[in-house]
Amino acid sequence: MRLLIINVIFLFFVGIGISFSQTLDSLDGDKVHKISYYENRIHKYREGWGNVIPTYFKAQFAGGMGVLSLGFGWDYGHHDQWETDLMFGYLPKFNTRKNKVTMTLKQNFIPWQKKIGKEYSYNPFICGLYLNTVFSDQFWVKEPDRYPKGYYGFSSKIRFHAFIGQRFTYNIRENKFKHWKDISFFYEISTCDLYVVSAFTNKDIRLKDILSLSLGVKFQIF
Amino acid sequence: MYTFVSCDIFDYHPYDGKIKGKTNVNAKNIERITESCKGLKEFKFAFISDTQRWYDETEDVVKDINSRQDIKFVIHGGDISDFGVTKEFLWQRDILERLNVPYVCCIGNHDCIGTGEDVFQKVFGNPNFAFTAGNIRFICLNTVALEYDYSNPIPNFDFIENEINYSDSNVEKTIFCMHCRPYDDQFNNNVAKAFEHYVLSCKHIQFCITGHIHRTEIIDLFGDGLMYYTCNCIGNREYYIFTIKDNGYEYEVVDY
Repeated sequence: MRLLIINVIFLFFVGIGISFSQTLDSLDGDKVHKISYYENRIHKYREGWGNVIPTYFKAQFAGGMGVLSLGFGWDYGHHDQWETDLMFGYLPKFNTRKNKVTMTLKQNFIPWQKKIGKEYSYNPFICGLYLNTVFSDQFWVKEPDRYPKGYYGFSSKIRFHAFIGQRFTYNIRENKFKHWKDISFFYEISTCDLYVVSAFTNKDIRLKDILSLSLGVKFQIF
Repeated sequence: MYTFVSCDIFDYHPYDGKIKGKTNVNAKNIERITESCKGLKEFKFAFISDTQRWYDETEDVVKDINSRQDIKFVIHGGDISDFGVTKEFLWQRDILERLNVPYVCCIGNHDCIGTGEDVFQKVFGNPNFAFTAGNIRFICLNTVALEYDYSNPIPNFDFIENEINYSDSNVEKTIFCMHCRPYDDQFNNNVAKAFEHYVLSCKHIQFCITGHIHRTEIIDLFGDGLMYYTCNCIGNREYYIFTIKDNGYEYEVVDY
């Protein structure tokens, strides 16, 4: 959400900048093909917003952000090695009083890609970090006022997760029914801040107690 | 494939409330306690408290209690979890399950964070509960009022009143167990004196045992002769052993 807001603010200022430079250009008087100030501004405006169109959709099972999370995101960098996802997850109530919705902001790093023939590729290592928040009045970012300052000293509403994993991609050929550019399947092994803190000071809590598996699929649009 | 399915390898959320293994622990263990202490007028029990995020120390206290043959049961004074995270309750339960004797758990303030109370209710049971061991009625109360609003009466006087009126010819004495004692930061201190009044109305009240403050303290809190025994946290490797005698009681602070 914050990423979107920053993007919108950025576009707003870019828009103002463009309109200013365009005013100067039009003073030179290109009489052959004159793009009006308005047309140019709208073109840049559309182009700017075009940059924030998500490039893929993702669905992920488990991973500490709900049973099933759906979201979208953007890939960028020289080799599209960076991906930023915004996901919304559904968490059934199990033994608690309410069903819950979660929101995740996830940063992925995909340093290597290996091609397997023309249609397949494989990422031997992916890693990343994500922030998860849960929408429920049972949790707080900061303790409510009734507690002395710093009583618990952590936020029950916001979790930090880290993961490593692998990914396998099927590049869909042109002549086949083509709805997506490619489809990737991935798995991740992740943990969160509170688990790490628990394991760190105790021999009794092992690595297998704090690590968990999640599975996902990514649909690349363009 | 079997291990893939049977292992709990998927984590939906730290506060998901997904519980694997034994539930309703208190009620199941109370049956065992009542059975093993039937007719006894003299017996020993242990009181441990505040085991949150001290898994190694909890493991050690279990071993220490198991090395003694004279303990009939163990009472946990609350703060089983540190963050209210579901897994914390299960990790602690699994360690406490290694005790050779039955145990019961009171609720602590840390156990109420997030979905913690829901998980506590499922794994251990109602935060207000009572049981009979030998000739003693143990009344275990939820006293962490700061975690609730006025829609939840903490401490629950109706529950205490029911216990005052509880009639069982085997019961001759009463002991109270709770996480926070009156005048702690968590207690509803507006009713501290009323609470004491109710406690004193119970049949031959012996003493109260509490936790929360992470140090051993033995104090006549209201100057009325009723002793409050506050148990150290397990991180400081101390716990109590109480010996109930036909005529009075003894206590021991165990350093392990």
